[in-house]
Order: sequence, then structure tokens, then C-alpha cells
Amino acid sequence: MQIFTSGMFWFVEGILFMVVILGTRAWVRDRGLAVSAWTWALFVLWLGFAGFTLAFVGTSLGEGEPTAATRGGLLFGMIAIVSGVGIWRLFGAGEQRDRERVGSVESGS
Amino acid sequence: MSENSDDNAHPGGLNRRAFLKAAGLGSAVVGGAGMAGFGYAAGKDPDTYLGWQNQEGASLVFRRDGYRVDKPTYEVVGETRRMDARTHQIFERRGRFMAEYRRILGARRGMDGEEGPEKAAITPGDFSEPLRSYYREQPQDLELDILAVEEIMPRLRADSREYGDRYVLARAWSNAMGAVGPDPIREPPEVNDLPRDRRGRPGEPVRLKDPARTAELIKAVAMQFGSTLVGITELNPDWVYGYPVHGRGFEDTEEPLEIPDWWTYAIVVGVPMSWDPMYANPTYGTSNDAYSRSRIIATRLEAFIKTLGYAARTHVPGTSYDLMVPPVAIDAGLGEQGRHGVMITPEVGCNFRPAVVTTNIPLATDRPIDFGVQDFCAHCKVCAEACPSGAIPMGEKEEVRGYRRYKIDTAKCLNFWNSNLGNMGCRICIAVCPYTRKANWLHRMALEVTANDPTGLSERVLTGMHKGFYPGPDPEEYYIPSLGGENASFRDPPWWLRTEDFVDLG
Repeated sequence: MQIFTSGMFWFVEGILFMVVILGTRAWVRDRGLAVSAWTWALFVLWLGFAGFTLAFVGTSLGEGEPTAATRGGLLFGMIAIVSGVGIWRLFGAGEQRDRERVGSVESGS
Repeated sequence: MSENSDDNAHPGGLNRRAFLKAAGLGSAVVGGAGMAGFGYAAGKDPDTYLGWQNQEGASLVFRRDGYRVDKPTYEVVGETRRMDARTHQIFERRGRFMAEYRRILGARRGMDGEEGPEKAAITPGDFSEPLRSYYREQPQDLELDILAVEEIMPRLRADSREYGDRYVLARAWSNAMGAVGPDPIREPPEVNDLPRDRRGRPGEPVRLKDPARTAELIKAVAMQFGSTLVGITELNPDWVYGYPVHGRGFEDTEEPLEIPDWWTYAIVVGVPMSWDPMYANPTYGTSNDAYSRSRIIATRLEAFIKTLGYAARTHVPGTSYDLMVPPVAIDAGLGEQGRHGVMITPEVGCNFRPAVVTTNIPLATDRPIDFGVQDFCAHCKVCAEACPSGAIPMGEKEEVRGYRRYKIDTAKCLNFWNSNLGNMGCRICIAVCPYTRKANWLHRMALEVTANDPTGLSERVLTGMHKGFYPGPDPEEYYIPSLGGENASFRDPPWWLRTEDFVDLG
């Protein structure tokens, strides 16, 4: 348990966070998407919120508050999913997938 | 790095971009698990139970200075006056009532030689002063006092025989915590308070350089004695009882209490109750653990000050005090008064059992604090909704002896104390208060947000979340079975108070 309260934990979390950003950047380039700076900023905030949600659930369970973990996890989890879909659309990935789907249907017919 | 370089395949067949994508996905999973693990560790961390982990106050991280104000957050709205402890201090009044009630019933039995019907005719006129006048003004309190004796206590005795063994570990824990501590002061101020040398001669005060430095010294010493928080204020005479309570050495409790000249300053010390049992109130918690520690701390402080040649006297609840402790603590900048009448501190919420040392040692005083409790309590009402006795008002503040505050129905409150198993008391309002939470990142963040949000929006949002996330039993479930309840506790007890796991209950 002590590892989670150490400075090393946050150092590793920071590295993992950066790898997630880099991985997402690679994925964006792979798809040929054009993502604005403010969309990236929203994505970083979303990652923070997702981390908060997980930490909230963990903290509530650690405190012996399973109801808070469940209800908070559902509430914040739903917010994270909905906002995550919104950011997905902002990235343009959804539209690109729609275009690809339409294109494949047309070429198939 | 060019786009092309991202696409260059490595000898193993995985190009850089594919590697980053896989690593990013893996990092999201590991990082997310890490956040959940961090949260779990933070929730479990015993160091976030403030007041029990050290005696240095090092983890008391609330930045108090930013919230100092010139006046306490209670309001003066009329001519202020001191409380008549004989009638308005519930323990004193209930003690007087019990004695007189027995006398009245005994006299009536003596007249007609039978028991029973004489109880129905008890009126305020049967009591001597000051109870007679009080009950004429507050007839509902006479009904509640009679209810305690005639109905609640007999039912509790019956239920204790049936269910009491379940709480034997809780009682043992409470008795053990209360078993250690200095004897309460039973001498009047002129005998107890003044310093004496080893031969009993009046002590000579040492010459102190500076009140501010002395205040720092007193706080450091009190922390060394084990106090979680320390504050200093000039004593407001309004907080001293107008008449003394029994057992404090005053020869005649029917004479007004003259405030000694040397009760100039009040030093407030205190500690929280053990956290896990506190959350398992009303059946498993106890106030004895904290009061015992506070009594030791205050008595040591009294001895320390007297050794320096100055007067000092401790005032420690449950019963050994000549003044109301919470408002003194509020004046000393330790917290604000909540809807439930209990002081709320930023550090430990209302899980704080204070004691006071009145003294004339020259001290610099602390200013009160305002960290948003009044606005919060106006909307929250969690304590009032959870209170099984209905003693905490849902409505607005009222004028009480010239001060505007939430008026607690202490007779209803004490009647519930007398109607639950386990240890004496209730403490549900303390356990359910949103401020009484562990000092981990989650609740610290909520505290900082509400304390710094002038719009009040965060208070409403967080209160709503608190009610949804941290529900407790219905208020009536806290009662004993014969009064329609289920002996419920707000939270499960810690493993070491579960009697059924250690004792064969047959």
C-alpha cells in the first residue's frame, strides 16, 4: 500500500500519462486526423477526470463506503463515457469512420 | 521526427507508431489501475484519521490563516446573558428533576399508600425553584423529563437484558478509555486554581517576556501533551454558567457564579474520538476515549501553568466544567458552530472533544475563523434529517440568550441518549456530518472547494452528492426494538468491536 503514497508512484503515473498522450498522438497520425490544440487540452482534462473517477471508486472502497463507490462510479463513469464520446467526435474519428463506412458501402454496391 | 520515421518498421516487425499506440493503450490500463490503487490506499490510509497518528500536528494541513476573521460567525442579536445551568444545562436539570421527581412520588405514596395514579398529576407546581418556573415556561420539557423516567429508561433496561450482550465489547472499550484520567476538580476556584509552592504558599509568577511567545509555548506544550488542535481566546463571560453545576466545589449552587478575576484567557485543547467506532454510532462509539485524553491534556496544561506561577483551572466535559466549551473553542478560532450545535473544525470536522483551561497567564489570542460553515449548514441539513430524536431543527436559527443560532432540543436529544444500547450517548450528528470525514485527497478537495466558493453552488452540489453517496439507516432504525427500532448504527463497527466474533452469545 505504501507505494501508492510515495513520490515514485506519481513519477510512474506521470510517465504512463505521457505515454498515453504519445500513443494517442500516434493513433491520430495513423488515422490522418487533424486535431486542434484545444481538443488536445480537452482530452488531457478528460484523462484527468477519468483518473479522478477511478481514484474516487478506489477511495470509497478503501473507506468502506461501497455505496459511494457504486453510485459515484456510475455517475462519474457515465459523465466520463458521455464526455469521452464527445471528445471522440471532436477528434473527428467518428466522422472519419462514418465516411469510411459510407465509402465501403458505395464501393461494395 | 518526420511522419515517415514513425512508419519505419523495426527488426521485430513493429514500427514506432504501432509501438506507441500499444504502449499508450497499455499505459492507460496500468495508469488507470494505478489511480484506483492510489484511491484505495488513500481511503484505507490510517494516517488520514487525524489526531491519532502523532502528537506534533504535522499533518494538520488546513491553511487556517487564510480564513481568520475579526468576529466569530455567530451573531449577537439582542441583550446577551449567561446560561442558568440549573435549568438549561440538560445534565444538571435532569439530575435535579430526577431527585425532585422521586421526592414528589415518595411523598404522594406516603399519603395514599399506593403506587400508580399519582404520576399523572405531576405539574410544574410540584417542583421547587428554579425548576418550577422553568417548567411553567417550558411544559414540554417536563413531559420529556417524565417520559425519560417513566417510559424510556424502563424499556432500555428491558432491551438491555435481551440485546445488551451484543455490545459488551463496546462497553468494555468505553469503560477502559474512561478508566484513566485525573479526578475531576471538586474544589472552588479560589482553592483549586491559584498556584502554590511545595509548602502551600502562594506561588510567584515568573516574568514572561512576550505574550505572543508565551502563546506559542503553550500551544507547543499542549501539542506535546497530545492535543490535536489548540486555540487561545479572551474568555467571554457570557459562556460561563450563571449558576454553577453540582460537583465543582461551589458551596451553594443556588447562588450566582461569580467569575474569578483570573479567568482572563481560555486555552482550548482537544482530540477526536477514535474514528472507526465514531462512525459506528450510536451503538458502538464512545465519547470517553476523547474526553479521557482531553482531560489528561488539560490537567497537564493546568499543572504546567501553575508551575509558572499563574492561575489555571480545567473545564472538561462530560460533567466537569463551569462554562460552555464549544463557543469558547469557536472564539479561539478552532471552528464554527454547525446546525447540530457542535463545533465544526476544518481538520476533523465535528469529531473533536475539547477541553478548556481558564488562566491569567498573559497570552496573545487567536482570531476566529470563517470557512463557510454557516452557508453550508443552511442548505445541508444532513444531521437534522438523520437525527432520530428530532432535536436538531430543520428551520432557521433562533435567538438564544441574545445570540442567533440553531436551537437544539436538548431534552429530546438526551432522551435518545437514554434509549439506545451500547454506550451512553448518540453522536449520530457527528458521524453523518459531511465535514467529519477522513483527511484524504477527496474530502480535503471538497473542503477547499466549499471554503473558497463564494457562489454557494459547490455547497449545494456536494451536499446533494453526499446525501446520495453516503446514506445511513432511517432515523427510527437507530432506536431499540421496544421503541420500534433495530439497534442500527450509522456504519458497521470495526472488527475489534464485533462482540459476536469473540464472545459466545449463546
